[in-house]
Amino acid sequence: MGYLWLKAFHVTAVIGWIGGMLVSSLFIVHVTSSRPLAAGESRMIEIVRAWDWKVTTPAMLLASALGMTMAVQAGWFSSRWLMVKLVLVFGLSALHGVQSGTLRRMARGANRSPPGFLRHSASAILMAIAAIAILAVVKPF
Amino acid sequence: MALLFVAVPLKHIAGHPAATSIIGPIHGMAFLLYVWMLIQTVSGADWSRAEIARALIVAFIPFGAFANERFLKRKELALAGSVSPERKWDTSG
Repeated sequence: MGYLWLKAFHVTAVIGWIGGMLVSSLFIVHVTSSRPLAAGESRMIEIVRAWDWKVTTPAMLLASALGMTMAVQAGWFSSRWLMVKLVLVFGLSALHGVQSGTLRRMARGANRSPPGFLRHSASAILMAIAAIAILAVVKPF
Repeated sequence: MALLFVAVPLKHIAGHPAATSIIGPIHGMAFLLYVWMLIQTVSGADWSRAEIARALIVAFIPFGAFANERFLKRKELALAGSVSPERKWDTSG
C-alpha cells in the first residue's frame, strides 16, 4: 500500500482513537462527580463502554499497526523525533487502558473511585496529541 | 515461538532476514497488546500489586506465558464468579 494511503488511514484511525478517549475522559469525570447516578445513567455507561470497545480500541490498534508499518517502510526507527513520539503514544495507550478498565468497573457498579489523575486526562490528551502532531509533521530532530 | 524457533534461526544460521522482518513487528504488536490488556484489566478489577508484578515480569521471561496460564485462568474464573474473588494465586505449582 502506498505511503499516502497508509498516512490517510493512520490519521483517520488516530482521530477515531483520540475522539473516543476525549469522550471517555469527560464522561468519567461526569459520572465520578455526580454520584449517586441519576436515572438512565447506567444505560449511558453501557453506551460509552460499547463505543470504547467497538470503536476506540480498534482505532487505537489500527493507528499503531499503520504507524509501525509506515515507520518500517520509511526507515524512521533511527529518528529521535519518532522515539519521543512513541513515548507519548505509549503514554496515551496506557491512559486509554486505564479509562477502558474504569468504564468496565463503572458498568459493574463498583463503588471504588477511579484514579484521581483521570480528572485531568482530557487536557493531557490534547497536549500529547499537539506534541505528537508537531513531531510527526515538522520532524524537528 | 515462531519468532524464536523459525525466524531467528533463519536469519542468523541460514542468512534469510525476511522472516524476522515480518514476525518481529507482529511479536512487538502482540507484546504491546498484552501490556495494554493488563493495564485495562487491573484498572477494571481489584488486583494486588504482587499479581500485577507477576503478570508483568513473567511477560519478559521466555516461555513465561506458560507459567502464568493457570494463574490467569484462575483470575478468569474468579471474575466469572465461579470461585471466590478473594482467592489469591498459590505458588504450589
